[in-house]
Amino acid sequence: MNLEVNVLTIGKLASLTRVSNDTLRYYEHEGLLEPAGKSPAGYRLYDDASARRIRFIKHAQQCGFTLAQIRELLVLRSRDATCCGDVRKRAIEKKLQIESKINAMKAMSKALDQLIAECADEKQPVRECAIIAALERANMGARVQRR
Amino acid sequence: MKVELFYSPGCPECAAAQERLRAAAEEAVRDIEWREVSAVEQLDYAVQLGVLTLPSIVIDGELVFTSMPSPEQLRDALLERCVGRS
Repeated sequence: MNLEVNVLTIGKLASLTRVSNDTLRYYEHEGLLEPAGKSPAGYRLYDDASARRIRFIKHAQQCGFTLAQIRELLVLRSRDATCCGDVRKRAIEKKLQIESKINAMKAMSKALDQLIAECADEKQPVRECAIIAALERANMGARVQRR
Repeated sequence: MKVELFYSPGCPECAAAQERLRAAAEEAVRDIEWREVSAVEQLDYAVQLGVLTLPSIVIDGELVFTSMPSPEQLRDALLERCVGRS
C-alpha cells in the first residue's frame, strides 16, 4: 500500500462516507469494496479511492441500481474496452424497470381505489366488509385459475 | 408478421447484429414488417410491451427475446409462429 495516500481506518471511512462499519463490511462481502491494505495488527485500511468507490455505490443506489448491478457498473468502470454506450444501456434498462414498477404500483393503487369505494359503510361488521369480500373473491378466482 | 427490435442507441452489440437479424427475418418470412425502436425515444411503448432489458425482440406484440438472439434463433421463432398461424 502506498503510504503517501490518505490512509483510513474502517471507522474513518464510515464517517467520511456516512455509511456504517457493518455496511462497509457487507460491501466487502459482496465484492464491491476491498481494503487497500491491512495494518500490522490486521485492521482493514482504506484510501481515498475507497471513499470515491463508496460515493459511487451510494449514488448508483439512489438511481435504483441493485448491488449486483452496481458490481457490474464497477467492473465496466475499470475496463479499458468499456464505452459510454455500455453504461448508458444499463441506465436505460434501469429506467425501463423503474417505469414498469411505477405502472404496476399505479395499477395497485387503482385497485385499492375501487376497494375503498366499494366499502361505503365503515360501521358495518367485518363479516359484511366489502373489501374483505372482494379480496376473498379474488382469492377464489386465483384458485380456480390454478386448477 | 411484425418484428420490433428494441435497442439502446449507441449499443455496439445491437448495431452489429441488427442487419444480420433483419436479413434472417426477411429470408424466413415473406410479409415481414421490421421495425427498429429506440428504447429512449419510445420508452412508454417499450414498458407497455414488457421490455426491461436491451436489446429485446417483440414479435406481433409478444416479447419473445430479452437478449440478442442468433439469426437462427430468430428465424426458428418466426417459422414457429408461421406454423401456428396456418
